[in-house]
Amino acid sequence: MTATVTTPGPRRARLSSKKAVLPWLFLAPGLLLALVFKFLPMGKGVWLSFFDVRPFLGDKWVGLDNYTRVLTDHRFQDAIGHTLVLGIGMSIGGILVGFLLALLLEGQARSLKLVRTAVFLPVVTATAVVGEMWRLMYYPTSDGLINSGLGLLGLGPVPYLDNPDTALWATMAMGIWMLAPYNMVIILAGLAGVDRSLYEAAAMDGVSLWQRLRHITLPAIRPALGIVLTLAAIRGLRVFTEVYVLTGGGPAGSTDVWMTRAYTLGFTRNDIGGASAASVVLLCVTLLLTVTVNYLRKRGDVR
Amino acid sequence: MRDRRRRIDMRLRHARRLAAALAVSGLLFGTAACGSGSGSARAGDPNTLEVWTRSDPESAQTYDRVFAAFTKKTGIRIDYQPVMNFDQQLQSRASTKDLPDVMINDTALMGSYQAQGLLKPITPASIAGHDDITATSWSSTVGRDGRHYGIPYSRQAMTLFVRKDWREKLGLPRPRTWQDTLALAKAFATRDPDGDGRRNTYGMVVPGSAQNGYVAWWGASWLWQGGVRIIEKDGSGYRPAMDSPAALRTVTWMKDNLFCGDNGVIQPSALTSVTANTTNFQDGNAGMYLTGPYNISTFDKALGKDKYEVLPAPSGPAGNNDVLADGENIYFGAKTGKAKLEQALAAFLISPEGQTLAMTGDHQPVVRIPVNSTLDAAKVRDDPRWSVVQKAYETASVQFPNAPDFAPIKQDTADALNALFTYCGSDVRSGLKELNDTLAGDLKDQELLK
Repeated sequence: MTATVTTPGPRRARLSSKKAVLPWLFLAPGLLLALVFKFLPMGKGVWLSFFDVRPFLGDKWVGLDNYTRVLTDHRFQDAIGHTLVLGIGMSIGGILVGFLLALLLEGQARSLKLVRTAVFLPVVTATAVVGEMWRLMYYPTSDGLINSGLGLLGLGPVPYLDNPDTALWATMAMGIWMLAPYNMVIILAGLAGVDRSLYEAAAMDGVSLWQRLRHITLPAIRPALGIVLTLAAIRGLRVFTEVYVLTGGGPAGSTDVWMTRAYTLGFTRNDIGGASAASVVLLCVTLLLTVTVNYLRKRGDVR
Repeated sequence: MRDRRRRIDMRLRHARRLAAALAVSGLLFGTAACGSGSGSARAGDPNTLEVWTRSDPESAQTYDRVFAAFTKKTGIRIDYQPVMNFDQQLQSRASTKDLPDVMINDTALMGSYQAQGLLKPITPASIAGHDDITATSWSSTVGRDGRHYGIPYSRQAMTLFVRKDWREKLGLPRPRTWQDTLALAKAFATRDPDGDGRRNTYGMVVPGSAQNGYVAWWGASWLWQGGVRIIEKDGSGYRPAMDSPAALRTVTWMKDNLFCGDNGVIQPSALTSVTANTTNFQDGNAGMYLTGPYNISTFDKALGKDKYEVLPAPSGPAGNNDVLADGENIYFGAKTGKAKLEQALAAFLISPEGQTLAMTGDHQPVVRIPVNSTLDAAKVRDDPRWSVVQKAYETASVQFPNAPDFAPIKQDTADALNALFTYCGSDVRSGLKELNDTLAGDLKDQELLK
């Protein structure tokens, strides 16, 4: 009697352990790739941030020296402000414009599909190409596209990138242009899931456009907005390519962000240890921000 | 009719600028491609040398010819990688402790590479034909410890490129002083030298961005002409020299007259321009450009030989017309174990045959002024304009000091100059004082401060 009860026990355990291994087997190739190309280099970066890096002379342990040097450097301190303005501005701008585009371009008509594809193009274009294109559009004489437009209105020309007061905003505008279509696609997916009957009911109740947005659309696309916000938190502060190709951090360092400083430190001044320390600081801040955004989102979901 | 032509002209200019943009983006793709593929399958082959040069696809074609001739002659194969973002790629290769066998790159980077231990020391006598290189040239590859870390390969000095047709049309003389140059720049900007009835031309082209230290590279010649040095030798070390009265006078002049002077003296995007996107001279809307002679082939194609002239730089307030000299050295990567092959390649590259191949051909030349003293740049190319460059190099040029790690010094100088030139209300004296303190810190980091 006891035998009949105990025999299925180990077998079931073996079966369930097999079941537990199976998903890991499927995941293994991806995990291995992530390990080799993501986590090991990341770990190496953290490790290097404690050294004066000289691969051919032997790395020298310097403890937290790289961190104090980076955090007390006034150019890094200046870059914090620019990074925040650019990161927050681009994220919020990208979400607002993406939301607006999604509202405008939602639907099944073939013409809309075409326009959506066209609008999505900036996302799949290399940032370097976009940067060079915008440099030409911002060209500070009437030869530049935007300035020739202003010229028709009798304004300008405006030196967008060569004036330290406007360069950061000009960079932000390009960033939003690149970011918004991506957000648009996520929000479009959210909009597709909105229950149509709610709109019909609202129309019968005679609500205004704003009330419809506020009480039907926005609550319905909350999950989509959550994803967009999380992505913004991850990407916002590590802005680099946009600045590097457009202004290189200038003029007078007015568009220098955290990552362009780290890049200059690493590859112009060959201070890999310092650049690693700067990157680790950014990683920690980004991690903290992402966790916070996720926490707030989950708390909101529960409520 | 005239109006129509002007419109077509403008459209052409737009098209050309767009083409330039596409070319630049193509370049970026190109480098990304070579960057990732630099693992080099043949690196293990004992008869193959991996060679890196900092070249765009255009000049890489010249290198291809040179290396093909070398392989034909010696049987040693070359795994050639032209790399645009050289230092970034080099750092990642250094971290794997497997460097390219031979690198050809800027002279000003030697101190930096040596400080990181990336280079093999070189005994000049071990390179066949070493005595064809002058003692002055050899002295420019001596490192901090007194040993050589590079082999001179190509040298150049800046010269002033001027739109000859514009200058003659306005009836103005060749500029000999800073005042002449400024007057000519103003005339180019205001007196419509291209005759299209619009004020759309600029006096001078300036790559004034701090990115990669460009404004310090371009501005160095002006500093030399003003009697300024960035750092000065002092016993066995160096001291910063950017707080001198000469520096104050020179930087103030540049700021007041070039960057904050009349509209159009320099092109309006100067403060964020690097050489790659500073195309106003070749696009035909700027009249002067103080730059390196590697541009001659580009300008010949874009403008035509008869449209512009190559002149020595104008004299500054210190009474000289010294310009920045730089160039490229051949470097041997540390710990590659292929010294004999590397020496054979270097001997070929500095030989009259190797240098001539690299100076001629249809593509951009990679040797500008030959280091081989048996050759004459103007004769090899049958082009008298190169004698202007050679003369500037030999008689009126100053290099950045080669022993210290100059990269941080150049970058800090560029950051400070770009900031002073951006804010026209800035106080030059305090800006330079601050720069001087920063430079002192850089030298102290290298234990070179006196």
